[in-house]
Amino acid sequence: MIELKNLTKRYGKTLAVNNLNLSVARGEIYGFIGPNGAGKTTTIRIMGGVLAPTEGLVTIDGINMADDPEGVKRRIGFIPDRPFIYEKLTGMEFMRFSADLYGVDERVFRDKAEELLKKFAIFNWADELIESYSHGMKQRLIISSALLHDPTVIIVDEPMVGLDPAAIKMVKNMFRELSRGGMTIFMSTHTLAVAEDICDRIGVIHRGALIATGTTGDLKRDAGVEEADLEEVFLILTEGQQI
Amino acid sequence: MREILALLKPRLWSFKNGSYSRDAKNRKLKGLLFGTVGLLFWAGIFAIFYRVLVYFQGIEGFGDVLARKLMSMVLVTLFSLLIFSSIITSLTKLYLSKDLILVHSMPVSTAKIFLARWFESTIDSSWMVVVYMLPVFLSYGIVYKAGLFFYTMVGLSIIPLCLIASGISAVAVVLVAVILPAGRLRSFFIFLGFVLFLILLMAFRLMRPERLVNPDTFASLILYFKSLEAPGSPFLPTTWIFDGIQAALQGQVGSAVFDLILTWSFAVAAIFVITWISGATYFTGYSKAQTTAGRLFPARGRKKRERTYLLNHLSGAVRAFAVKEIKTFFRDQTQWPQIFLIIALIVIYLYNFSVLPLDKSPIKTVYLQNIFSFLNMGLATFVLTAVAARFVYPAVSMEGEAFWIVRSSPVRIRTLLWIKFCVYYAPLLILTEILIVVSNLLLHVTPFMMVLSVTTVFLMVPGIVSMGVGFGAAYPDFQSENPAQSVTSFGGLLFMILCAGFIATVIVLEAGPVYTVFMAGFRGGSLSTLQWMWLVVSFSLVLLLCILAVIVPMRWGERCLSRND
Ligand SMILES: Nc1ncnc2c1ncn2[C@@H]1O[C@H](COP(=O)(O)OP(=O)(O)OP(=O)(O)O)[C@@H](O)[C@H]1O
Ligand SMILES: [Mg+2]
Repeated sequence: MIELKNLTKRYGKTLAVNNLNLSVARGEIYGFIGPNGAGKTTTIRIMGGVLAPTEGLVTIDGINMADDPEGVKRRIGFIPDRPFIYEKLTGMEFMRFSADLYGVDERVFRDKAEELLKKFAIFNWADELIESYSHGMKQRLIISSALLHDPTVIIVDEPMVGLDPAAIKMVKNMFRELSRGGMTIFMSTHTLAVAEDICDRIGVIHRGALIATGTTGDLKRDAGVEEADLEEVFLILTEGQQI
Repeated sequence: MREILALLKPRLWSFKNGSYSRDAKNRKLKGLLFGTVGLLFWAGIFAIFYRVLVYFQGIEGFGDVLARKLMSMVLVTLFSLLIFSSIITSLTKLYLSKDLILVHSMPVSTAKIFLARWFESTIDSSWMVVVYMLPVFLSYGIVYKAGLFFYTMVGLSIIPLCLIASGISAVAVVLVAVILPAGRLRSFFIFLGFVLFLILLMAFRLMRPERLVNPDTFASLILYFKSLEAPGSPFLPTTWIFDGIQAALQGQVGSAVFDLILTWSFAVAAIFVITWISGATYFTGYSKAQTTAGRLFPARGRKKRERTYLLNHLSGAVRAFAVKEIKTFFRDQTQWPQIFLIIALIVIYLYNFSVLPLDKSPIKTVYLQNIFSFLNMGLATFVLTAVAARFVYPAVSMEGEAFWIVRSSPVRIRTLLWIKFCVYYAPLLILTEILIVVSNLLLHVTPFMMVLSVTTVFLMVPGIVSMGVGFGAAYPDFQSENPAQSVTSFGGLLFMILCAGFIATVIVLEAGPVYTVFMAGFRGGSLSTLQWMWLVVSFSLVLLLCILAVIVPMRWGERCLSRND
């Protein structure tokens, strides 16, 4: 479903992503972990078509991002790490905006938007300007709007930052449910418990390169520890290689 | 003091680090462009004032009176400009900047934060005004053959003038922020805009510039000025500064120094009082300002659906962006002063045409009318350029940090740019056509000229709007705290210059052949083949130029913006 081939990104002289190869199957939840500045956000932005890679290919649902960016983007629900959205629109207007952009049918829009906003408990705020939302509320709104057009792939950068425990639990359950329904989810996170909890496979990125990938069990074997939890595995894998 | 300096350092360091940042490669070019344009303006102001002063000196008896009157007008204008620009700057610096949250969390007293911010705002709001006032005083110095003492006096007087103006503005803003209900500070912009509108209109009404053109009233005008020789109010800072500079011009050291001391002592005392007031009230106002405003015109239930009904039959992406663009525009209250300003300028512009004493002029009226209607075409399109620079050019940068939405959405950059083009094209076309038709009616131009100007403007508006969108896309600034001011950036300046060039070329191309047609009609003769060819070639060139002006900038902007790296 998602396929990254020899992905490389340089910011001037900084090598942010170094020859990354990775594939995620349909219905899989893939967790992307790594220290600060490892290149997670960069990779995710390239996958979302927000950033052009220096080299390499992104293929989603069999379509190459470089060949048909609009076609690929229509299949993606993209959720960035920081919730910057149009402050002067109301929540509902923003949903409407997204729906128009992704070609959601007029007839299903109202119910769908209402359902999502209610699920994320921001329906009561739907007619307020976004500039008066809190960080977490904006995050909730963005997640709702990304799900509005039934994407086949969700690409999300640190989804849990700023969310309260109830919302985290809800998002976790929702992701599980969606993946059972065939949706592919690619998420980066620093909350290892979440990664361990819901991800089918996990990739560890460090200094732009993928240093380990597999199930939690695979990672433990790689790190040479069987008893430890993911946190310890993470520390061992990225040990002594401070940025 | 140490803390105040520390608070000012981030600004200095960012300025210094500018050369390391991404756009460092264009820095030299930018410097050159800004330098040249700035210098040209500077020289232009100097030349105008020098000419006027030399001319005044030639007027028997009244020369000095007029020169003095002019200086006092300059000082009052300068002072009002400083006050107005400081109000806007200090409102932003003290209440709206994003880094304020960080600054207020630091262990520094409110008064010190205020002082640091106020200092920054003073420099930001006054440096440009001051730079462009220097050639005025330079021309006085040269015409009146003043010595070093005069220039020193000017330098030493302008500083307290800026301090006083920005101090008065800051204290007004601080007090308004405390008095206004929470979250309403931004609405203050609307009020300011309205006040500015009224002031401009009144100032123009009082000056009655049309009398300068009319020889009948010119003599009485001089008498009128003579009667105004009464000194200004002794309580106004501008009066002290005016008296001081005038004394310096005449070499009266004692009285000049007295006025200088008066000004400085007032400025210093004012700073103390202002700091004291702000120390007590600034924080209260700042807390209040953090409540985001409810909408000034809240949606009334069902009604809001009707308002976008015109746009409802548009296709998905187009409607999405069009609705967003229009709503964002009208909900941003910081936009309003400029809207009022533009309305005021247009009213003044049209008003001037209605009072032009065309029939009193010694030159043949028909001839004049045609010159005026070409001039009018240039002016109207230049007004359009100014409006476009303020609203169209920043359109792409306005997306700001939310630009990822566009990048990650299944919409091409090209589509986005064309939507922006259309959203601004319609109102700007209407505005310019109204401007040109009304002013032509007031000028009583021939039907031929009317048709010609309406058509030309119709052809030029898309080009100018497209240049605005295209240049804005080529030089976007998504991090800017105030994208509306991005006109003063490199791309904005380039846009203005190229637009001016475009307008001038079109008008020159048209004016030549039209003049011959006109003269032929005047003499009752017909046009030669050569003249016909000239006519056709010129107008084809105009058409070609207008088409290119639409296509090339849009393509270029699209290419630049699509390069997402
Ligand atoms: N706009 C940029 N310009 C230059 N370098 C950048 C830019 N953005 C990121 N980098 C560099 O690229 C590298 C990877 O950054 P990235 O944001 O992808 O890290 P990350 O894994 O998301 O980190 P975090 O966990 O902190 O979010 C870092 O070394 C960073 O300094
Ligand atoms: Mg990141």
